[in-house]
Amino acid sequence: MSGSFVIDSLAHAVFWVVVGFVFAGAALAVFPRNIVYNVLGLILCLTGVAALFLYLGSFFLALMQLLIYVGAICIAIVFAIMLSRPLHLEVPRRRMPKLAAGIGAAAIFFTAVTTVAWKTAWKPAAERGADWTITTIGHLLLTRYALVFEIISLVLLVAIIGAIVTTGFSRRLSS
Amino acid sequence: MSMMWLPHDPVLSAALACATLPFLAMAVILIFTRPYQRLSCAISVGAITVCLGSALYLLITLRHAPAPVEYQWAWIISSDMLIPFGFLLDRLSLLMLTIVAVISFLVQVYSIGYMHGDPGFSRYYAFQSLFAWAMMTMVIAPGMLQLYIFWELVGLASYLLIGYYYEKWSASQAGKKAFVMTRLGDIGFFLGIITVLLGFGDLGILHMNHAAQAGDIHPAVVTLGAILIFCGVVGKSAQFPLLTWLPDAMEGPTPVSALLHSATMVAAGVYLMSRIFPFFAASPDAMAVALVIGTITMLLASTMAFVTYDIKQVWAYSTVSQLGFMVMSLAAGGYFAGVFHLTTHAGFKALLFLCSGIFIHEYHTNDMREIGRGGGRKLIIPMVCMTVGALALAGIFPFSGFFSKEAILGVLAAHPNKLFLGAGLLGALMTAYYSFRLIFFILFPRETPEPAHHDEEAHGHGHGSGHGAGHHGHVFWAMAWPVMILATVTLVLGFFQNDLQGYLLGLEPAAHGHDAAEHGGHGPGHYLLLATAVCLAVGGVFFAYLEFGWKKATQEGFLRKFPAVETLFANRWYMDHFYRKALDLCVYCGFTNIFTRNDRRVIDGGIDGICRFTVGGGRAVSFLQSGMLQYNLVLMVTAVGILVLVFAL
Amino acid sequence: MNSLSVYLTVAAVLFSLGLFGVLMRRNLIGMLISIELMLNGANLNFMAFNRFLAPEPAVGQIVALFVMGIAAAEAAIGLSIILALFRRLRSINVERAQRMRG
Repeated sequence: MSGSFVIDSLAHAVFWVVVGFVFAGAALAVFPRNIVYNVLGLILCLTGVAALFLYLGSFFLALMQLLIYVGAICIAIVFAIMLSRPLHLEVPRRRMPKLAAGIGAAAIFFTAVTTVAWKTAWKPAAERGADWTITTIGHLLLTRYALVFEIISLVLLVAIIGAIVTTGFSRRLSS
Repeated sequence: MSMMWLPHDPVLSAALACATLPFLAMAVILIFTRPYQRLSCAISVGAITVCLGSALYLLITLRHAPAPVEYQWAWIISSDMLIPFGFLLDRLSLLMLTIVAVISFLVQVYSIGYMHGDPGFSRYYAFQSLFAWAMMTMVIAPGMLQLYIFWELVGLASYLLIGYYYEKWSASQAGKKAFVMTRLGDIGFFLGIITVLLGFGDLGILHMNHAAQAGDIHPAVVTLGAILIFCGVVGKSAQFPLLTWLPDAMEGPTPVSALLHSATMVAAGVYLMSRIFPFFAASPDAMAVALVIGTITMLLASTMAFVTYDIKQVWAYSTVSQLGFMVMSLAAGGYFAGVFHLTTHAGFKALLFLCSGIFIHEYHTNDMREIGRGGGRKLIIPMVCMTVGALALAGIFPFSGFFSKEAILGVLAAHPNKLFLGAGLLGALMTAYYSFRLIFFILFPRETPEPAHHDEEAHGHGHGSGHGAGHHGHVFWAMAWPVMILATVTLVLGFFQNDLQGYLLGLEPAAHGHDAAEHGGHGPGHYLLLATAVCLAVGGVFFAYLEFGWKKATQEGFLRKFPAVETLFANRWYMDHFYRKALDLCVYCGFTNIFTRNDRRVIDGGIDGICRFTVGGGRAVSFLQSGMLQYNLVLMVTAVGILVLVFAL
Repeated sequence: MNSLSVYLTVAAVLFSLGLFGVLMRRNLIGMLISIELMLNGANLNFMAFNRFLAPEPAVGQIVALFVMGIAAAEAAIGLSIILALFRRLRSINVERAQRMRG
């Protein structure tokens, strides 16, 4: 029992460290001007979110997060950075009203969402299942939620074609 | 109202004929027969003849009727207020109706000659019919509202006829001036009607008179109503201070001056006063006001007639003065005297104007000196008739004016304040003086060296018979007959005074002497007054002869010795100048300024302000369309956040 | 760790930071990064509800998977659009793209 208590408190402590990583990563992703810092911050943040998914009971999803987000999206972003001109060579003039508006809008939205989150009496469902296996996920994806599966495939197809077409067109236009 | 009454009630048919035929004549002329001059003339004269016949028929049939005959149809019905329209045929209205019909008829016949060859012949007759219609319906109106409506229509006819020669600037200005000035008085009139309506509730004339006499109406209502209605009289009958429109109204054709501005239209004010005489008499304050205004008018206008050389202007000022005299009489309580003078004045003033018209038609000038030099004395018929008229005006026995003036002076003598009697006598003297000044100017002209062509014209016109058979034919006789008829009437009417008095007051002819206020009694005071008046009149004539008629006279008048006074009289006591200045100050400097400023700053400024506001607002809001993605996003997010907060809290 | 509100708050913070980044950053790629943050915040929300409230745990995970797939597709398209825009404007400053001004 004390062992579980120690493990519990350790897990708790690590949880907060992970949350710290998430926030730090997010901050790194948003505030610095250097785009490379932003990408690295994003990677850090997404890794932290993957860990949070672990805490939320889904090993599968944590791995998927790492695979898709960190492994694919962030790398794609890095490629895009490589292909673009660095922004700091331009004249960066930060405008005050824009800053104030941005802070204000974000603050309002944050307040709204947290208010809703804290004020609502969230009721768990009456009967809760306990099946967290991947088999179930796969089974559901191919039977009951087959539409989701198909749609995601379709979306990815369209995205690929779209990406090719967009870049292909603009190359023709610019030459 | 069906046509069933036509064979059943001749009285009503006659009244309806008077009230509708001239209107139909006018409509037909204006719409259909405008290009056909003779036809238009025939229609109009035909209509007025029928009206004359109807008026005489009514007078004769109803002259012994014990009570007034009234026909009424409900016109405006509103909760507890009923305003009728119809006809009131009592003694006074029938007398006035006859006067109007006779003089309208004579003038329209006269106009056949006078207006011969004028391009607007049809239009002239259309407006004459309009006037006849309006005046006659006004005379037999049973209620104040109908009277007021037709009073205004008479004013309209006057405007149209004064401005008949509309191409002439002065004529159209004179028409405008007449209309506006009388309109000013009518504002008071209408306020008076409203006062009576609010205070008494009924606008029927008989009812009003009866109630006022019985004391049923609150005295304040009576006084206020009487004074306000008297404002209408001031306007229409050219009393002080609204008298300057009448001399200017001489711009119209002379028959118009004879009909409207001497005999009938301007007498409408006096008629109104006598119509509601019991109502007026119930308020001594209103009578006092009217008496003062009448006196001032009479004296003022007489002085203006001393210095003018225009033949029509003299008679115009004389009309104003005599109207003031009539108002004095009515205001002093002399009902019959005032009405009698109205009747006789209609006769001889129309006569004077028509004779002047003949002179003007012959010599194409209004100046009495030129008419005299042109040989005016040689036109027998107009000269004799004009002299008859002038004798009547001056109040010389045996002409009608003598009797009516005596009646009025008798009334004034019975008034406690002898000042008014003095004013009346002075007025009689002045009247005799200026009327014979004109006569002597024409009778005894002074020859002055003239350019050659004037003499030729004078010779050519002086002998009317040599002017051409066509001209001297029906044109001349169309003008001569009415004049001769009127002269005869003037000669004879005075002797019917007792009959008229009996008729009007509903008394037996033998019993007229009882009313001291009416007749001034038959005591020695009465004969003294008679003698004084006769002496003054003859004295005035003689004085005029000394100054203008005598061979050795300079024809300059005693006023030449007082040039300032002469200028004062000639400029109408500067009344027109005063009005011009007041108008300029009030309207052009005051109101026009206010309205211009309002127009520029408030209205234009307002609209410009709205424009500027819209444009500026648009410019201010246009930052939303900066094309910058992030600004739009900010707004969206803020909106969503606020919505969530509003619904969550 | 064991209460829903904590996760919801963390997700809200992530989302708001992402939102702030979208509104503030002039670099187009920076905006894309911020958008990924927002998507992750939403995903975290889904997973938290799945863990604490949902009747069937698998369904929440399927939804979260779906969101991830969409995010990937969107990132791909977004990057290609950025590249196209870069070729046009020779810059990835979002404030340069003002053709729709007015």
